Amino acid sequence: MARRTLVFAALIAALIAAVVCSLAFGAVKVPISTVIDIVLGKGGSPTDTQIVETLRLPRTVEAMLVGAALGVAGAILQGALGNPLASPDVIGVTGGAGFGAILIIILLPGSIALLPLTALAFGLLAAALVFAFAWSGRNRGSVGKVVLAGIAMLSLFTAGTTGLLAAFPERAPSAIFFIAGGLTSSGWRDLETVWPYFAAGFVFVLFLIRPLDRLALGDDVAASLGSRPQLIRLGAGIAAALLAAASAAIAGLLGFLGLVVPHVVRMAGGTSSHTFVVPASAIGGAALLAGADTLARTLRAPIEMPVGPFMVILGVPLFLWLLRKAV
Amino acid sequence: MEAARSAATTALLEARGVEVEIAGTKILRGADLDLHAGELVAIVGPNGAGKSTLVRAVSGMQKPSAGSVSWSGRDLAEMRGRELARRRAFVPQRMPVPAGVSVREAVTIGRSSHLRPLRRLTGEDRDGVERAMERAQVTRFADRDLTTLSGGELQRVQIAVGLAQEAPVLIADEPTSQLDLGATIGVADRLRALANSGLGVLLVVHDLALAAAIADRIVVVSDGHTVADGAASEVLSTERLAEVWGANAQLVEHEGRTALHVAWLSHHH
Repeated sequence: MARRTLVFAALIAALIAAVVCSLAFGAVKVPISTVIDIVLGKGGSPTDTQIVETLRLPRTVEAMLVGAALGVAGAILQGALGNPLASPDVIGVTGGAGFGAILIIILLPGSIALLPLTALAFGLLAAALVFAFAWSGRNRGSVGKVVLAGIAMLSLFTAGTTGLLAAFPERAPSAIFFIAGGLTSSGWRDLETVWPYFAAGFVFVLFLIRPLDRLALGDDVAASLGSRPQLIRLGAGIAAALLAAASAAIAGLLGFLGLVVPHVVRMAGGTSSHTFVVPASAIGGAALLAGADTLARTLRAPIEMPVGPFMVILGVPLFLWLLRKAV
Repeated sequence: MEAARSAATTALLEARGVEVEIAGTKILRGADLDLHAGELVAIVGPNGAGKSTLVRAVSGMQKPSAGSVSWSGRDLAEMRGRELARRRAFVPQRMPVPAGVSVREAVTIGRSSHLRPLRRLTGEDRDGVERAMERAQVTRFADRDLTTLSGGELQRVQIAVGLAQEAPVLIADEPTSQLDLGATIGVADRLRALANSGLGVLLVVHDLALAAAIADRIVVVSDGHTVADGAASEVLSTERLAEVWGANAQLVEHEGRTALHVAWLSHHH
């Protein structure tokens, strides 16, 4: 128990540090004391206030939301499917969202404002197709069926994406940033469009934590306790699809985060209990993405590197190190 | 005496003519089952006869295609999950063992059927968890991780998870089939003690000598039908052992010990 409290404390400290750095650092450095004054409404120079409030604050909030959403989506999918490889990729969301975004970037570049909603819509469409196939016929809702249908759908939409890119190579460069995954300093606009999907996903997850703990003791124990295992899986799939599709709408394809953060949190806390893993994955994901985004846009400022590959390069060694120590 | 007690109390479980069809195949073709408070009923039969399907069907975990099941007079089909969880607890043969989950945490999950969504455990719930662990005799290792337990200890933890539901009936599906002799005795003794304390216990079991020793009644399932129901000495006759299991065998009882004397090799026929 003490170990879990310790991990929570460390994650919260990391999140606070990441948020403060994210607000302070960038092409223009704002002193941390000024950042705190601005956030608390005690003033600061008009330029600093404008940078922090209209550029960095929305971006930091986006990073936290997307990081938390992907961490949670991975945690509940891994729990619901009882499979350590599960991530938003396996229910098709990533593939669908990618296809939706590329469709806009390549075919309707004039309507780029439609990108978040289209990515979201195609992400949810792909997940819906996965569920429709996995929940029909014999053995409905079995883990194997969900995973296989998900991989099939991921391949299909990825093929569509690559096909579009190959057909219009001159427009491919503007699509790279989305595929690599990264945040932009576009103010509150994107969040205004997709926040209800984040909200719905997070609220849904609150109701799934206890059923997922039941499911961890097996389908029979869950059924004995009055839950329906297939319904828990479907619910977790829908919640994860909402969170991952909304994340893709804002930050492109960052699947790695959803796969790795729950594992790191489990290894650090020494438990797979969802009452610990789900909130810890939210905080850990938020801290990781806010921190990585800060590094990605400050290391070679004013050039911004896409945070996706950056995070993978930083995260994989840490992940492998933890994996080596895990029993 | 047992019969008299059964008649005096109303049945906790009453199942008549239960049929189950899975993917076009009839697994259960007509099964009857009764269970009363304080009674331990063993369900026996050959592999594939439909024992597990029968207990899953009466538990509401496998939808029957025909027949009637009622719990304390209430129709199974009318009950939702939470209500069902208060009428019976189902203990599977072997549950998955999640990492970093202690015995007490697992039993607490068993108690969660008493909680409304998003509600936290009350003091009463925590008492219920401790009570369940004591009744299953797992309190001694309550703080250990599930991953560190032996097969017998884990099985008793599973029983504790079921007891935490505080339902009047506990259904155990082959709880001893993977245990050694000593652990089997431990689990069997616990189940008998629980029945003596007033719980209705339904036990699916392969070991006929064990069933004969601890059960008040034995129900024989063969080819999807319940073909016999009664005391071990009547139900597990030499003729029935030959007919249902194809075995040349005899149930022997001597000074509180039971054994199945079996002719293992065919030249004894």
